[in-house]
Amino acid sequence: MRGPVAWWNDPWRPPRVLVAVTIGYLIWSLLPVLIAVLFSFNDGKSRTTWQGFSFRWYWGDETRSVWHDATLHQALWQTLKLGVIATLITVPLGVMLAIGIDRWRGRLPSGANMLMLVSFVIPEVLLAVALLFAITSLALPIGLGTSAQVVGLITFQIAYPAVLVRARLATIGNQYEEAAMDLGASPMQALRRVTVPMLFPAIFASTVLVFADVIDNFVLVRYLSGNSSTEPVSVKIYNTARAAPTPALNALATLLLAAALIAVTVGYLFYRRMTRGDATAGKGIAAFAGEA
Amino acid sequence: MPVPNRPGPNRRQFLQRAALLAVGTPALVAFLDACSKGGQSSSAPSLTIAAPSSPVKWDIPADNTAIADGLGPEKGGTLQLYSYADYMAPEAVKSFEEKYGVSVQISTFNDTDEALTKIRGGNVDYDIFFPSYDQIGRLVTGGLVRPLNHSYVPNIKNVWPFFANPWYDQEWRYSVPYTVYTTGIGWRNDQVPADIGALKNPYEALWDPAYKNKTAVIDDWHTAMAMVLLKLGITDVNTSSADDLNKVGEALSQLVAATSPKVTITMYSDLPAGQIGLSQMWSGDIINAQSYLPEGVDVDILRYWFPADGKGLVDNDLMVSLRGGKNPVLAHLFINHMLDPEVAKQNFSAIGYQPPQVSINPDSLVADGFIPENLKSAIVRPEYFDVGYRILELDPANDTAWHNVWRTFKAGGS
Amino acid sequence: MTVAEAPSQPAKPGRTRTNPLWPTLAMPGIIWLLVFFLAPMYVVLAIVFGQVDPIFRTPVPVWNPLQWDATQFTYVLSRIGPGGAYGPALIRTGVYVLIASVLCLAIAFPVAYYVARLSGRWAGILLAALIAPFWISYMMRMLAWVNLLQDDGWVNRIASLGGLFDVRVHWLTGQPVVVVLGLVYGYVPYMILPLYAGLDRLPQSTLEAARDLGANRVASFWRVTLPMCRPTIVAAVLLTCLPMLGDYFTSDMLSASPKTAMVGNLINDSVQSPGQTGQAGAFVMLVLLATVLPMFYYVRVTARADEVST
Repeated sequence: MRGPVAWWNDPWRPPRVLVAVTIGYLIWSLLPVLIAVLFSFNDGKSRTTWQGFSFRWYWGDETRSVWHDATLHQALWQTLKLGVIATLITVPLGVMLAIGIDRWRGRLPSGANMLMLVSFVIPEVLLAVALLFAITSLALPIGLGTSAQVVGLITFQIAYPAVLVRARLATIGNQYEEAAMDLGASPMQALRRVTVPMLFPAIFASTVLVFADVIDNFVLVRYLSGNSSTEPVSVKIYNTARAAPTPALNALATLLLAAALIAVTVGYLFYRRMTRGDATAGKGIAAFAGEA
Repeated sequence: MPVPNRPGPNRRQFLQRAALLAVGTPALVAFLDACSKGGQSSSAPSLTIAAPSSPVKWDIPADNTAIADGLGPEKGGTLQLYSYADYMAPEAVKSFEEKYGVSVQISTFNDTDEALTKIRGGNVDYDIFFPSYDQIGRLVTGGLVRPLNHSYVPNIKNVWPFFANPWYDQEWRYSVPYTVYTTGIGWRNDQVPADIGALKNPYEALWDPAYKNKTAVIDDWHTAMAMVLLKLGITDVNTSSADDLNKVGEALSQLVAATSPKVTITMYSDLPAGQIGLSQMWSGDIINAQSYLPEGVDVDILRYWFPADGKGLVDNDLMVSLRGGKNPVLAHLFINHMLDPEVAKQNFSAIGYQPPQVSINPDSLVADGFIPENLKSAIVRPEYFDVGYRILELDPANDTAWHNVWRTFKAGGS
Repeated sequence: MTVAEAPSQPAKPGRTRTNPLWPTLAMPGIIWLLVFFLAPMYVVLAIVFGQVDPIFRTPVPVWNPLQWDATQFTYVLSRIGPGGAYGPALIRTGVYVLIASVLCLAIAFPVAYYVARLSGRWAGILLAALIAPFWISYMMRMLAWVNLLQDDGWVNRIASLGGLFDVRVHWLTGQPVVVVLGLVYGYVPYMILPLYAGLDRLPQSTLEAARDLGANRVASFWRVTLPMCRPTIVAAVLLTCLPMLGDYFTSDMLSASPKTAMVGNLINDSVQSPGQTGQAGAFVMLVLLATVLPMFYYVRVTARADEVST
C-alpha cells in the first residue's frame, strides 16, 4: 500500500480537482435550467412552489397555455422561422467568404478579414442600434420586422461559419487541393470535390451553432422587431419576466430547447451517415464539432 | 531579420486612394440623401401646449379628416393595439373579437417616449394607442392621429361629463378617456409596519434609510421627478426653473444613496411578490396587486396613500386612433366597445385601473365589495381633477432639461 | 481528366497568380458586410453629428460630413470623465467586465483543460453538456436565476438552512455582485468552446517531454502548457469580454437599479428617447472604438507572429 504522500505525488493519478471543478460547473450551469423545465410542468401558477404535475401550461389551460395563447405559439413560430431562414443563408455565405478570403492574397481580403473579425466580437447592441438607425432613416425596401431581423442576424452570425471554416482550412492545409490540381483538376473542381467534403465537419458544426445562436438571440431581434407578431420567444420572455410570468413561459422555453435538441440530433445523425467510412468516423461528437 | 510582407502604401497608391475618397464621398452623400426618409422634421414652427388654464381645440387639417359615417367594419384584418403590458382585460378583447369576427393583437411598450418614437418612425401600423394627455400635442402636430367621427362612439355619454370637452382636446376631436388614476405611495404593512400616510411628508419615506433595498420608484421621468418636486414642497410639477431642476437632481442622488430604489413599472407584481415593500405607485397598480398576491397572503396587508384633499398627481390615459392604422372603422368600434359600462367594469376588475364611468359610483365601490376597505384611498374621485396637479406636456427646451436630469439619475451618476 | 486540361491560368512571371474563383466566392460575403455592417455605422455617424427635430426631438441625420455638427458628441464627451454624469457608468462597465472575464477564465480554463485532454471516453458527453447552454434560451437561464434569487427563492431558503436563520437578502435590488455573477453565468459557455478547441491541439509529446525532463505538475503547467496556449487564452478572452461591453439586459433583469447601470444600459435607455438618440450614437461609437482597437492590436500581433514563425 502506498502512503498518502506517494498517492498525491503519483503522476498518473486521475485529476480529481479538475473533475470536481468540471462537475461543479456543469451542475451550476444546468441546474437552473432543469428547475425551469421542471416548473413548466407545474400545476399551479407559481414558478417557485411546486404544486403538482400537469401539462396545464402546454395545452391544458384554456387561455394561457402555449397551445391556446396565440401570442405564445406565435413567438415560437417566429423563433423557428428566424432560425431556419437565417441559418440557411448565413452558412453558405460564411463558408464561401472563408474559402475566398483564405485563398485570395492581397489587401482587400485582409481588410475583409479584419471586418469579419470585428463583426465577430462586436457587442450586439452596437450592431442593433446601427441597423435600427439605418432602417428608420433610409427608405430601404426592408422595414422593421422579420426581414430586418433576418438581415441583422445574418450580419451578426456570418463570422461564425467563416471563422470555423478558416480554422479548419488552416488545419487541413493546401496539400490535398494542390495534389488534386496536379492530377489535372481545375481549382473549382478541386474545391468542389476535395476541399468542401473535407470541410463537412466544420460546416455542420457551424450550422448547429448558428442555429442555436439565432434562436437564442435577443438584442438584435428586439431592436428590429415591428409589432408583437414579430417578437420571438426570447423577447416574449424578457417582456413578461419583468411583469408576472406564468409557467407557460417555462413551457415555451422547454419547447424551444426540445426543438434545438431535435435539430442537433438530426444533424448529427445525418453527419454520421454522410461520413460513414471516413477517417473521422468513430471519433464521435468531437469530429462533429470540427475538432478531430 | 523577418521581412514584413505588407509594405506600406507608396505615394502613388496614397494619392489614388485620397482621390477615390474625395470623389466617392459626395456621391455617397448624394445617394444617401436621395434614399433618406424626408419629412422627418415637422413643418409646424412650434408646439401648442395645453393646460387646464389654457384649453386647446385642435385643428382638423384638410388632409386628415375623420372617416365617413356609416361605414362597415373592415373584414379579415387584425386590429393592432399598442399599450402598456397587462393594461387591457383579455375578456374585453375576446368579447370584441367575437362580436365583430376579427382578431386583435396587442403590442406592448415600456415607456411612452419609446412608443412615440416608434410610431413616428413610420414602420408600424398600430391602430389604437393609449397615451397620456402629455403627448397629445405632439401626436396632433405630427399628424400621427386621426380625428374621431363621433357617430361611431355613442358610448361617450357614459363617461364623466367633463371628458366630453376636456381642456387638452376640446370637443374630444382626437381622443377619449381610457382610465383615471392617481399617483401616490403604496406599501405592504408586513414589511413596512409604519403608517406612511400619517407622516408629515409621506413622500419622504422613500428617502428613509430604514427601508433600504426595499423601495421602488416609477420608471417614468415625469412622474418620478414630479413626485420629487412635491416632496420638496414645489407644487409646479411642470416647472422650467433650472434651480428647481437642480434640487430635483440632488434629491435623486440622495435617493440612490439612501435607499437604492428599483426603477421599474412592474410594482404591481413586485410588491405582492415581496420583492419591494414600499413604492411610488399608480392607484391602479395597488388595486391590481391584489390578484398577484401568492396564496395564503391576505389582501389586508396592502396599503395606499394619496393626499385626502386631492392635492397630488392626478391623471388620465387616452385612447387615440392612429393615422398609420389600417382599420380605422374597427378602431372606432373598439373605442366605443371599451366605453361600454359592462366592458369598462370588466376591464377595471382585470387591470385595476378605474374607468371614468358615471355608472361606477366611487362612494359605493367599497360597500359593493369591489375594492377592499384598506385600499379605499386608491379610488379616484372626480373632485380630484379640480385641485390635483397635472403632468403636462413640456415645450422642447424644458423637455430636454428634464430629460437630462433623468438621464443622469438613470446612469447612476452624480 | 488528362494532363492537357491543366489549369487555365498560366503563372505570370513576377506576379502572384490570383485565380478569379476566390474573389468570386468571397464577394457576396464582403458586399453583405459592407452594406449591412459598415454602411449602418456611417448612418450612426450621420445621426451623432446630425440635427435634432425641434418639436419631436427625433434625430435628423446629416449625410454630408462638411455639415456635421458636433454638439451631441461633445455633450457626451464632456460627461464621460470620472466626475461627469456618465463617468461612473463607464468605469463600472470596465470594472464589471474585467472581474467577470477573470472569473470566466478561472472557471472555463480548468473545465476546458479537463474535457480537452483528460476526459477520455467521456469527452463526447461532456462536450454535449457544455454546448447545451447554447440551445437553451439565454433569457430562460437568466429567468431561472431571477426565480432562484427572489426573496422567497431557493438561494435564500438554502442559505437560511431551511428556516434556521432568517436570511432575507434582497439579491435582486441593485447588487453589483449579482450582476457580475450574472455576466459570468451568461458568458462562460462562450469561453469554454474556443479554449477547448485550442487546448485540444496542444502536442501531448511536448508536455510529456517536460515531465520526462523532471518538471513536476505545477512547473510543467506553468512553464510549458501555459505559454503554449497563451494565444488561445487571449483569443478566448477577447471573444468573451468584448461582447460583454454591450450587455444591458443582465443588469436589467437582475437588478433594475441605476446603481448597476452599464454602458449598454446608457445606450438602450437613450436610443428611443427623444433628443437622446444622438447621445446613444455617441456611446455606440465609443464602445466600438473600445472593441475595435484591441482587435486591431490582436490581429497585428498574431500576423507578426505568423511572419516570424515562417
